Parts: sequence; structure tokens; C-alpha cells
Amino acid sequence: MKRRASIIGGVAAIAGSFVVFVIPFIFIILMAFKDKPQSALRDFSWPQGFHLWDNLVQVVTTRNWMMITAFINSALITVISVTLLVVLAAMVGFVLARRKTRMNGLIEFLILAGLMIPPAVVPTIWLMQGLKLFGTLHGMILIEVAYNLPFSIILYRAFVATIPRDLDEAAIIDGARPLDVFFRIILPMLWPVTVTNIVVQSVGIFNDFTNPLYYLPGNQNATVQLTLYNFQSQYNTSYNLLFTNILLITVPPLIVFLFFNRQIVAGMTAGAVKG
Amino acid sequence: MAGLEFKALHKTYGSVPVIKGVDLSVDHGEFVVFVGPSGCGKSTLLRMIAGLEDITSGELWIGDKLCNDVEPRDRGIAMVFQSYALYPHMTVYDNVGFGLKLARTDKAERDRKIRDAARILQMEALLDRKPSQLSGGQRQRVAIGRAIVRQPEVFLFDEPLSNLDAALRVDMRMELAKLHQDLGATMIYVTHDQVEAMTLADKIVVLNGGVVQQVGAPIDLYQRPANLFVAGFIGSPKMNFAEVTVQSIDGTMATVTSKDISSVSVAADTSRMSVGDTLTLGVRPHHLTLDASGTLVGGVSLVERLGNETNVSLKLPSGATWLVVLDGDHNLRGSQALQLAVDSSTVVLFDKTGQSLLAPR
Repeated sequence: MKRRASIIGGVAAIAGSFVVFVIPFIFIILMAFKDKPQSALRDFSWPQGFHLWDNLVQVVTTRNWMMITAFINSALITVISVTLLVVLAAMVGFVLARRKTRMNGLIEFLILAGLMIPPAVVPTIWLMQGLKLFGTLHGMILIEVAYNLPFSIILYRAFVATIPRDLDEAAIIDGARPLDVFFRIILPMLWPVTVTNIVVQSVGIFNDFTNPLYYLPGNQNATVQLTLYNFQSQYNTSYNLLFTNILLITVPPLIVFLFFNRQIVAGMTAGAVKG
Repeated sequence: MAGLEFKALHKTYGSVPVIKGVDLSVDHGEFVVFVGPSGCGKSTLLRMIAGLEDITSGELWIGDKLCNDVEPRDRGIAMVFQSYALYPHMTVYDNVGFGLKLARTDKAERDRKIRDAARILQMEALLDRKPSQLSGGQRQRVAIGRAIVRQPEVFLFDEPLSNLDAALRVDMRMELAKLHQDLGATMIYVTHDQVEAMTLADKIVVLNGGVVQQVGAPIDLYQRPANLFVAGFIGSPKMNFAEVTVQSIDGTMATVTSKDISSVSVAADTSRMSVGDTLTLGVRPHHLTLDASGTLVGGVSLVERLGNETNVSLKLPSGATWLVVLDGDHNLRGSQALQLAVDSSTVVLFDKTGQSLLAPR
């Protein structure tokens, strides 16, 4: 009896997640195969004819090859922000876990506040304009780093706390300077959390729509998520192109997740249980 | 060539004093063991030598260099940790060579030194493994190898054997003694294990509450403890104590008596006592022997038969419990009355402040 119940439960769960996750994805793929008149119906029907290649060519070449620029921009923003995030968050996590000062409480409060309080867009734009960073890629990178730093720090700090302090001290006696201790001993040992951080943050930053929309105006600055706006307007939307676009920009994060799935989970739980 | 010299070393954490003025000198090549109960400051003292703890006041000399504010890497020391502290992401080879790499030793030289250390410790076969693939004893060897390869003037050991099982501990203890002989370097060793302290040390430093209680050769500490604390701490099982009254003094001999012991004559520093004084008498469990005309009578309350000796817990008339170690096997029953003789030549008297009243040699 118990066994049958668990089978029924499993099947229900699979069916549920199929409806929630797979069916929309199938819908996207089907839409990408259709031509404009059929896609305008927005129904779950089999495509009449094979239009994927035409759609792809049109999506990529639209607005003077904007898609290519967008991919380059997104790649730059993602790679540089994630690199900065990993190095900075690991350093902060290391110092925060190792050095007990009276400031620790305040710092932890600020990190938590950074995680919970939503960013104010208009003052940020004003500040960025003052610093001449508004509408630039490096400005955007700084924004992404700032917004995502608290989460990364929390992940790292929990993990650093499980690394015995004896290791730092052994390295110091071996002649390591503080930066040696960090880069040669601590950072390599943080690898599981680093993988988690890289995957979670790069998917998040690559898929970010709102922040580039606010802080990175201009055709030359488009990121992949913003290219979605190319095919959508108040009176006229090309659904076939829109969904082809979606398909195109969903693939990179999907690949990352497929490859690193196991390591992400390992890293997420690594700090939780001392092992 | 490096000895060590501590001059009035102090260490406080916030307002809590941990090391309260330690003066000590260690000659080059000496094997010095710090012993004491948990929290006595022995590890802190070691870490101060290593440079992992700041020195609040006082002076630390290593060789002829004042090392209070010298970085650990420049002190000419190497340390072996209780947890081994091997870098888990590096192979044994890299673990041992890490210090040399940081010192930018050239590659051929580094390789030679690593292989030399591996040969001394007989771990050449392990060089390509990661620490997680090693047993406890092997890890300890690697940790020692990491210390040797730096050719330090002073080796520091922080309870290096306490994570090993009993049999391995005995082996490693002998290897450490041999290593000390071969290298001839100064070694400072922290432990709470009596046997390690007694067997390895040229000189034992007994610490309690951040104060040095006594410094001396192991056997001196055992036979001539400076005070009650050292008497109770050195030697296992613990020394038995009883309150006694001075009955008479005759030259260097004092005759004392108590509720449990009819009378014992002890050689002591009689100039510091007078008839009628209350003193503390200490007898080691091994120095009590079965004797029908003995001065000590008590009832057996617990017996541990080990084959070669018998540990007896003895209930005395005053209510105190003494431990007696009898040679050979004795089949004793509970509540049986025993009569024991006290070997008066090994008895130590202590005054009210706990200082021993040993006759001057």
C-alpha cells in the first residue's frame, strides 16, 4: 500500500512539473517554428511548414545585427561581474568569518539589508550620472556586482567558517603573506561554493531584464534580454520572432545548468553541514 | 644555533590575563615539554613563540634576536599542529614544499629538500597522494615533513600525537625522540600526556594558571616537586595527600602524625617548620607496600587488577580515599582491611602555602 502511494505521489509530481516547466517550453519551441499569421493565433497547434531558419535569420539581423551586439554585451557583463563577485565576496566572507571585531554585527546587518531592501532606481541613476557611469557597460557591471554581492558573501562566509583556522596558521608559519593565504589556501578550498556562485550569479545576471532596462539605455548597449522588445509593440507583435528570440537566449543558461547541476546542489549544502 | 629566552612574558585577552609573567631559558638543542591542565596557557605560550599570538609585554628572544614583533616566517621556527593542518587541495609533495615555494627556492633545490625530508620520514611512496588518502599516522608524518623541510632552528609541537590511537602514539613518540637526536634542533613540545612529557623531555616546564610552577628534568620533577600542584600533576596515578601535624623535630628529620597514619619520620627542611604545625604529606601510590606492621590502615573500596600490578582504592578511617598501586597480582575483596607501610624516604611534606619542604640536597 505504502509503495503504491509513493508511486502515485511521484507520478503526480512529475506530471505537475511537466505542466509547469516543460509545456511552456514546448510552446516556445512550437511558436518558433511557425510563420507570422499562424503565430498570431497564439494557440497550441502544430506548425504549418518549417519557418525556424527564416525566423532565426530575421531575429539575428534585425536592427542592424543587434542580437550579436547584445550577446557580446551580455557576455562581457556576465563574465566580468561574476569574476568580480567571486573574488570580492570570497574575500569579504573570509575576513568576516576569520576576524572578530566589534564591527561584525553592523557589517552583517548591512549585508542582510542589501539582500532585503529593494534598490531605489531613480537615486541610483542620479548617482551614476554624477559619476559619469550611467549608460556604460562598466557602470552596469558595478550595479550587478553591488546588487548580487550580499548573497555571494553569505554563501562564502558560511563555508569559510567550516575551514579550520589551523590551515591559515600553518600557512602563515610556512611564510605565507595574507594574500598568499587567501589565494593559495582559502580560495582553492572554496571551489564548491565558487561553482555554485558562478552558476547562480551568471544565470541571474545573464537573464537580468530590468536592471539593463533602467541603467543601460541605447541601442549599442542592448543586452540579450532587451532584444525581446524588438518584436513587441503596442499595435504589432511578431510572436514567431519573439519566441524564436526567447529560444535563442534561453539556451546558454540552460546549458550552464545542465552541466553544473550536481555541483550547484553540492555547493548550496556545503556550508550547511560541517563535514 | 638558537636557544630561546623568555623575559617576563605576559599575555592578556582583553582584560583577562592568560600568561602571567613567564621567565625561561632554553638552550640550543634542548627538548622542552610544556605540560599543564587545560587552559593553563601552555598552547598560548607556544603560539606566542610561533608569532600567532601577540605578546602583551615582556621579551621573547630566539637565538640572539628579539622576536616580539618579528613575522612568523622570519623567526626560524616551524610548527606541527594537533590537527596536522595539511592543505587538503595539495598533494603531499606540494604540502611539504609549500613553504619553500613561498620562499621562492629554486625548483631543483626544492625538489631535493622535499625528497630528503621524505626519506628521513620514510614517506617517499606517499608524495603523490592527497591528505585525504592518508591515515592519521601518515598525515602526522607529512606535517612533520613540512616542518623539517624548512630547516628551522626551533621546532614547535602542539599536542601532535593526541589525535593518534594508543599504539601509533607510542611509535611516533619514539620517532620524534629519534628525530630530535638526528636533527639536534631545539624542540618545544606541548602536551597533557604525562608519558610523552616524561619520556621525551630534557626539561619539563609545568604551567598552571599562566604561571610556571617548576622547571626541571623529568625525574627531578617526579622526585622533588616544588609544590603541591606539581606533585599532584606529575606522576600517574596521582600522589595521595593527607593533612598531618608535626610531632617532633630531630635534626633534619621531622616526625609527623595524622588520624590515618600513626607516625612517620620524614627527611625535610626542618628550618621552615615547628612542632605543632599543620602540613600536607604526599605519598605516591607506588610507594605504599603491604606490611603487617605498617602504619597505615584502610578498607578496600575498589580494585583494578592489571596483571602486573593492582590498583586499589583505599578508604581511610578519616574518610579520605587513597590510591595504592601494589606490585603483582593481588586478589583483594571489597571492604577487606589492609595494613600498609609508607616508604618514608619518598614522602614529601608541603607547608600551608603548598610549597614543598624538601631537605636540601
